[in-house]
Amino acid sequence: MITHSDDDPDFGPDDPLAVIMRPPAEYLSPPPGRYEAIRRGAARRRLLRAAAGTAVACAVGALFVLPLRSAAPEAPVSPVVPLAPPSPASSPPAEPTPSASPGPADRGSGGSGLGDRTSAPSTAPVPTARPSGVPTFTRVPSAGQDSATATARPSAARTGAAVPTPARGTQR
Amino acid sequence: MKGSREKAASELFAALYPSLAGWCRRLVDDDGTAHEIASEAFTRLWSRWTAVAEPRGFLYVTAANLVRDHWRKLERERRAVRRATAEAAVGPRNEQADPSVRLLVQSLPGRLRVPILLHYYADMPIREVAALTGRKEGTIKADLHAARELLRAHLRRSLDHTL
Repeated sequence: MITHSDDDPDFGPDDPLAVIMRPPAEYLSPPPGRYEAIRRGAARRRLLRAAAGTAVACAVGALFVLPLRSAAPEAPVSPVVPLAPPSPASSPPAEPTPSASPGPADRGSGGSGLGDRTSAPSTAPVPTARPSGVPTFTRVPSAGQDSATATARPSAARTGAAVPTPARGTQR
Repeated sequence: MKGSREKAASELFAALYPSLAGWCRRLVDDDGTAHEIASEAFTRLWSRWTAVAEPRGFLYVTAANLVRDHWRKLERERRAVRRATAEAAVGPRNEQADPSVRLLVQSLPGRLRVPILLHYYADMPIREVAALTGRKEGTIKADLHAARELLRAHLRRSLDHTL
C-alpha cells in the first residue's frame, strides 16, 4: 500500500482514520475459468452492440430515405389522347329521339361516330312512324297496278333500310 | 496480431484481477459479489471498441461505480425489509457500533467518494485520480481533505455511540 504522507498532511500517526484508510492489501485470486468466461462475455457483448448499432443505423437510414422518396416530384406523365370525348356522348341521347325522325339527313350531318351510334336506337321509331306515311303512298298504286309499286320502291330506297319492314306490314 | 492482443489481455488480467477483486472485497459483503464486480469491470473494458489508454484506472473507476450501485441496491432492499418487518433498528445499530470501511465511504457524497476510493484504496496518485475523474489536482486535494473531515466526524460519532 502506498503511503500518502506528502499528499495528506492531515493524517497524524495516531489518527484512527489513518488506520481505516490504509487497510492491508487484500488479494482475491480469480476462480478457475474466470478469464475465459470474461473474454467470452466481452466478445458476446461487443457482437450484440454491433448488431444493435447496425439495426439502429438501418432504421435511421430508412426513416430518412422513405420520406424523401415519397416527397420527391414524380416523373411527368405523358398526356394520353382520350379515346372519345366524354361529355357530349353522355347527355344528348334523350334529345335526338324527336329530331332523329327526319332520318338520313340528320345522320349525315352528325359530327361524331359515337353520336351516330347513340342516336341509332332513337331512330328505331322511324320505321314505325313511316308506315303511316308509306301506306298512303303505297295503297294508291296497289289498287291495281304493279308499276306503281315499282315506282314506290325507289322512294323507299331513299328513306333507308327500314323501309322494307313497313312495306311488309302494310301488305298484311 | 490477435495472439499478441490475447497475450496482453491475459497479462493484464493476471496482474490486476487479484488486487481489483481484493479491493472490491473490502467494499462489499462477500467474495462472490467482489468477483462479480471485478469480472464485470473487465468485461466492460474488453467489450469496448476503442482501446483504453489507462486500463487500471478504467477498471477501478468502473468497479467503484458498480460498488456504488451495489450499495444502493442493498440500501433499497434494507429499506424494504425494514418496512416489511418490525425488527427495524437492529441492522443500523450494529453498523453504527462497528463502522466498517464500506459504511464510512458510503456515508460520503458521491463527488468525494470516488477520489477516496481511488486514492486510498486503489493506491492511485492524485495526478492519476485527477486525470480519471476529469478534475484538477487541486480540486482532488480539496475533495480528499473534505472527505477526510467528514469521515473523521463520522468515526468520532460512531466511537462516542459505542462508549
